[in-house]
Amino acid sequence: MISVNNPYLPYPVRIADIVVDSPDKSLRTFKFEFLDPEDETRFEYLPGQFAELSVPGQGEIPIGIASSPTEKGYVLFTVNRVGQVSSYLHNMRVGDVMGVRGPLGHPYPVRDLKGRNIVVIASGFAVTTLRATVAWLLHPDNRPNYGRITFVYGARSPGHLLFREDWEAWQKRDDIDVYVAIYKMVPGWTGKVGFVPAVLQEICPPAENTAAIICGPPIAIKTTQPVLFEAGYKPDNIIMSLENRMKCGLGICGRCNVGPEYVCKDGPVFTLAQLNELPPEY
Amino acid sequence: MSDYLVSEKTLAGFFTALATGRRLLAPQGQGDDCRLAETTGPVSLDYANTHLSPKGVFFPQTEKILAFHKLADKPKANQYQDLGDQAQPTVIFGLRPCDARGLTVSNRVFQNDRFTDPYWKGKYESAIKIGLACLNPSPQCFCAAMGGSPFGEMGLDVLAYPKDQGLGLKALTPAGEEILKKAQAEPADLAADMAALEKKAIQSQGSLDDYATINERKIMELYKADHWAKTAEPCLGCGVCTFFCPTCHCFDIQDEQNEVGGVRMRNWDTCMSPLFTLHGSGHNPRPSKVERVRQRFMHKLKYIPLKQDGVRGCTGCGRCVVMCPANIDIRSVAAVMAQASA
Repeated sequence: MISVNNPYLPYPVRIADIVVDSPDKSLRTFKFEFLDPEDETRFEYLPGQFAELSVPGQGEIPIGIASSPTEKGYVLFTVNRVGQVSSYLHNMRVGDVMGVRGPLGHPYPVRDLKGRNIVVIASGFAVTTLRATVAWLLHPDNRPNYGRITFVYGARSPGHLLFREDWEAWQKRDDIDVYVAIYKMVPGWTGKVGFVPAVLQEICPPAENTAAIICGPPIAIKTTQPVLFEAGYKPDNIIMSLENRMKCGLGICGRCNVGPEYVCKDGPVFTLAQLNELPPEY
Repeated sequence: MSDYLVSEKTLAGFFTALATGRRLLAPQGQGDDCRLAETTGPVSLDYANTHLSPKGVFFPQTEKILAFHKLADKPKANQYQDLGDQAQPTVIFGLRPCDARGLTVSNRVFQNDRFTDPYWKGKYESAIKIGLACLNPSPQCFCAAMGGSPFGEMGLDVLAYPKDQGLGLKALTPAGEEILKKAQAEPADLAADMAALEKKAIQSQGSLDDYATINERKIMELYKADHWAKTAEPCLGCGVCTFFCPTCHCFDIQDEQNEVGGVRMRNWDTCMSPLFTLHGSGHNPRPSKVERVRQRFMHKLKYIPLKQDGVRGCTGCGRCVVMCPANIDIRSVAAVMAQASA
């Protein structure tokens, strides 16, 4: 958990590795190691939670945790270069010291979904916390607790698909159905082609005893919902992760609220049934 | 808990005793200059309310919270260190009941169901809060309409009121009782006196709307009502309402640095600014003043009551009504919300 005495104080970390994830270099995945190994124990998290990456002198950005707690010794974050902090971070180097403050928010309700089938639907680089979710579900400690697992993932081009090693390995397993798509055909591609909702429509698992976990840009989330409704999914069983501008991550600084709920403290994970009662301010 | 009296003759000594071993903050000056400031007495009892709300005592307009250095040859380079809560032993005399109530609203945000803000907690919980009831609420006041009272006790250790050129005092917490005993206030029975004065003070606020239907309506019913564009129309987006409001608690966090190190600080922020919610992508969930004005009133009158057992985020202090350059009046907005249909 986050520091009890002062939840504003980041844990010091060292950048252990940086992977450039996309052809336009707008995405990089950072691997951090905690300077104090005990901080790794304190940073106990579950898939779907996020943390504030804290760059001295620049500020903080809230980013979903891309690693699974079943992966020990490090934490992973994929950062899109958009503003002051993320641009500065993209220019930092392996060995540099900075901070990670978290974990924050609530995880996907994986523990409540025991005994059920799960379909995980990812669009674009929002795949990060879903990559963590699938890695967690497939861990030998967890896999027997769940039924059928399906992973649907789409991105613009093969170069924009993250975590290739992971999903290629998952494709070889017989305890998960993996569908990876690009939006437009390119030579040499052997996977599916089309936007995520279209791919999902083709392969959508039956709604019975199944929960859908969706993360992606607003347009992908919006266009995926009708496909799930058509397949019989109820709003209670459609689980989504929101993002809003944040500062404190603690439900105090006031800017990320959706009605009375704070995306940072009460989310970022909400069911569609919950969101249907709230203003669409996200 | 008991009641106490401080006579005109012992009043100066009472304030000296309060200020012994801790700082005493009390309202100083008049009108726009009236503010909480350190004093050892005398303390004027003749003021409507402080120009600014007292929230800045616990939540300064700008506050350094963390610091770091960049000197690679020294330990802990680029690691943030806590600067502490900067709390000092404090007694506040003269909080108006509306403001004390407002501070409890912020307190439940800064110490919420999951996290505790150490900078707020250190300062808020160590301060002894002595309220001063309003015998003659000013024309801008409407605490009773918002569920409070000119003699409200919420968030106070002691409630005082001017009596015979001295003070009547009601202890509300053990800490309040202790400080009154130490200051040698004389025991008394003031219940009947206070009840009569409270009734008179409430009556002076005129006939009051209780806006109860807002509580009964669903969020989306209030949100989708068709008056918001009209309600927001005069707003200039200046944010003065949020800076003066005793319950507005929003802040920004920023780093400042030089060649050798820097600090992380937090500064008051305002939901009236488009930057407040602007995503890095350019998307803004509250893109125009209609959404922003709706957010402010929904937050005060619907969201906070939902999360805080019915206590509203407006305490009727009236500062926003007086300060708004466009004459937006939260009482009118609440009345419209209470009546409007989706």
